[in-house]
Amino acid sequence: MNRTAQPTVHPVQHIDFVKPHIFDVTEQVRLLWMKDVPNDTVRLDLFFDAGIIRDTQSIPAIVHSLLFSGTATQSSVEIHESIDALGGFLDTDLSFETAVVSIYCLREHLDTIALLVSNAITGLSFRDNEVEDTLRSMDHKFKENQQKVRNVAQQQFRKALFESHADYSTLAEAHDFQEANYAQMKRFFKDHYLNGLMRMTLVGNVEQDSVDALIDLFGKWAIDRVPEFAKDFSTSHEKLEFPVDSALQTAIRMGKMLFSKKHPDYIGFQVLNTILGDYFGSRLMSNIREDKGFTYGIGSAIMELHNDGYFVIVTEVGKEVTEATLAEIKLELKRLQEDLVDTDELELVKNYMLGQLLKSADGPYAMLDMYNSVDMYGLDLSFYDDAIAQIRSITPERVRELAVQYLNWEDFLIVTAG
Amino acid sequence: MIAFHRFKLDNGLTVIHHQDPTTPMVAVNVLYDVGARDESEDRTGFAHLFEHLMFGGSVNIPDFDSPLQFAGGESNAFTSNDITNYYDILPVQNIETALWLESDRMLSLAFTPKSLEVQRSVVIEEFKQRYLNQPYGDVWLELRPLAYTVHPYKWATIGKTIQHIEEAQMEDVKAFFKAHYHPANAILCIAGNISQETTVELVNKWFGDIPKSLKPERMLPKEPKQEDYRELTITRAVPNNAFYYAFKMPERRSFEYYVADIISDALGREKSSRLYGRLKKDLKLVTSINAYITGSLDEGLLVIDGQLSNGVTFEQLDEALWTTLDEMNATPLSEAETAKLLIKIRTVKEFQEQGLLNRAMNLSLYELLGDANGVNEENDLYQSVTAQHIQELGKTMLRKENCSVLRVKAIQA
Repeated sequence: MNRTAQPTVHPVQHIDFVKPHIFDVTEQVRLLWMKDVPNDTVRLDLFFDAGIIRDTQSIPAIVHSLLFSGTATQSSVEIHESIDALGGFLDTDLSFETAVVSIYCLREHLDTIALLVSNAITGLSFRDNEVEDTLRSMDHKFKENQQKVRNVAQQQFRKALFESHADYSTLAEAHDFQEANYAQMKRFFKDHYLNGLMRMTLVGNVEQDSVDALIDLFGKWAIDRVPEFAKDFSTSHEKLEFPVDSALQTAIRMGKMLFSKKHPDYIGFQVLNTILGDYFGSRLMSNIREDKGFTYGIGSAIMELHNDGYFVIVTEVGKEVTEATLAEIKLELKRLQEDLVDTDELELVKNYMLGQLLKSADGPYAMLDMYNSVDMYGLDLSFYDDAIAQIRSITPERVRELAVQYLNWEDFLIVTAG
Repeated sequence: MIAFHRFKLDNGLTVIHHQDPTTPMVAVNVLYDVGARDESEDRTGFAHLFEHLMFGGSVNIPDFDSPLQFAGGESNAFTSNDITNYYDILPVQNIETALWLESDRMLSLAFTPKSLEVQRSVVIEEFKQRYLNQPYGDVWLELRPLAYTVHPYKWATIGKTIQHIEEAQMEDVKAFFKAHYHPANAILCIAGNISQETTVELVNKWFGDIPKSLKPERMLPKEPKQEDYRELTITRAVPNNAFYYAFKMPERRSFEYYVADIISDALGREKSSRLYGRLKKDLKLVTSINAYITGSLDEGLLVIDGQLSNGVTFEQLDEALWTTLDEMNATPLSEAETAKLLIKIRTVKEFQEQGLLNRAMNLSLYELLGDANGVNEENDLYQSVTAQHIQELGKTMLRKENCSVLRVKAIQA
């Protein structure tokens, strides 16, 4: 047996993408449903126009944390008690442009838990003791995060990258959690939750009746305006340093505004991004971790916004090698702009990306997320068929062209903390 | 129910095969029966450093990751105090690439000096990133030696100090490989749309000729029964005062392990748990509180941790905490509370079984515990736990003489 040669590799030829059932709740709000689940699990996600950008003084984060804090008749503990008694789990997520509430449960309990969640949110009464408890917790968490170089770099990067749009660039501050502004919280809650539901997604082998019931139950929160999201950001290309004396490592975050998922260069740039920093064998990992040993990890990514997107490189390195790391990153960007990527390397990245795409479509949960992440931007499954074709056909010349166009060192905003 | 089929090669390799016709991917999981508990006290952090070296090239293949990525797959690994677990996920038609790679690194590593030097630096950066450069990052480096006096659980997988990693020699690396990385000390699990016949054939083809070695005998010092209340207060430049109460709990293979897991849920898993309701919501003593278990194979820990509200003293917290624990020991859980804990476990189990890799890892772990089918019996074991079991174990476990407390006092940087 030959142990030195790799067994024959068969690249991914075809991926079965499955489209969910789609229901129009209103003209603007839809429910996506993936029904073919081979067990009793169910996940329901509610997406609200209640992201960080929608208000100042951390109001979106505070209200988000208070969603299950009690009604006129039920305390937060009682609400959680009733959902726990049915084996349900609640999860919440807050990003720039969206707030998400998720329910995980067994299908026989979906109807009841959905009702409990609906009642808890509809009846949210901002009880004094609950608000105070939440602010105390958030204050402590905020202070803890301020000591993490990764978090400081992330926050300052955001502030500088989005400087042209105050709603995107305003950071949380310590005093946000000192005193409760009930009027502002209540107004935000009413505008962005009770009239802020943007979409629902459901994975689970439930009956059509349950789906109808969910639409009736949560449809009342459907948004009746067209939410606006920013575009045309402008960023100064500067280097900002935030010293943290006691730190052993420096967090680096560098990046630039790019384009939205609808841009014709999106897929091509994903290939370039993968080569540079989006897999274990990437140029950045191979050089800065596997050759120099400067870091535990380094990576790059395209971050999607509703109407725009940005590119970011993230790492934490030994304090003494911060400048050396930046020099290596600069070198890697330059190499991509000057030299053609080797055909073996490009072939590897193509196969890898297709394998990951296959994995991303594996099973109803993954497939729904995949569909949702294009539907959100008004795209459909043809996005992925097109992605496969583009990944297969991209040439080393095209990769270099994209690098020349988008990876100029001078265009980057660089933030360090440590 | 996860259906599987088990076989053993002549060289001692145990193989678990699980067929799932619905997925285009395959998971290849290799569990080595070696963890930080198998290190000697003057060379800690070794099992984990070694895990990094396993990606630095094997005897016939200069680089582990590239061929796997070329085959559309990806790979990672983790080290715990008990085990080292490697996994690959790739399109099923390319499974041979994973078997080729895994079998070659089981056969022998390349042992290049460069790989050792680089991974030594990477692990030192990992040490800094996760344990030293984070508020509260070092608490487990303090808590473990407080809770354990002789058992090797007294050090963390990353190691006792950076110095041990700095001093690792190539000779140590080779000896470690020879002792722990061979078929008789490993469990291979293959999960995906692949038949039993093909699995047997391919596993024999790639792993069959790896020489047999004797499974090392594990002779760990047994931790003496704890009989004193241990307290340690450290000061750190962190924003808030924090506390960690660690109770010794039964080992992984005992029925009481499951009981202890449920006790931790009752105390502090969810927002309807006892400590959360009492200490955070009613008394406002803490801004966060959690209870969980370490999941260790030998006698592990049930931990309650959290942070104090401003102006609250450790003494106030201590009193309220012990009152809550004493109540739990004095009165059996109601039927409703027990039922609530059990249905949450059933839900979690259903979700866990969704994932192909999760199934492969769990089958491997249960095989290590004695029988891969344990994965199918786990839920029934949990569901058979009663309020009486909980009260009985609580009385022996949730006592001061079985507890080690670490307090982190916040000071200005």
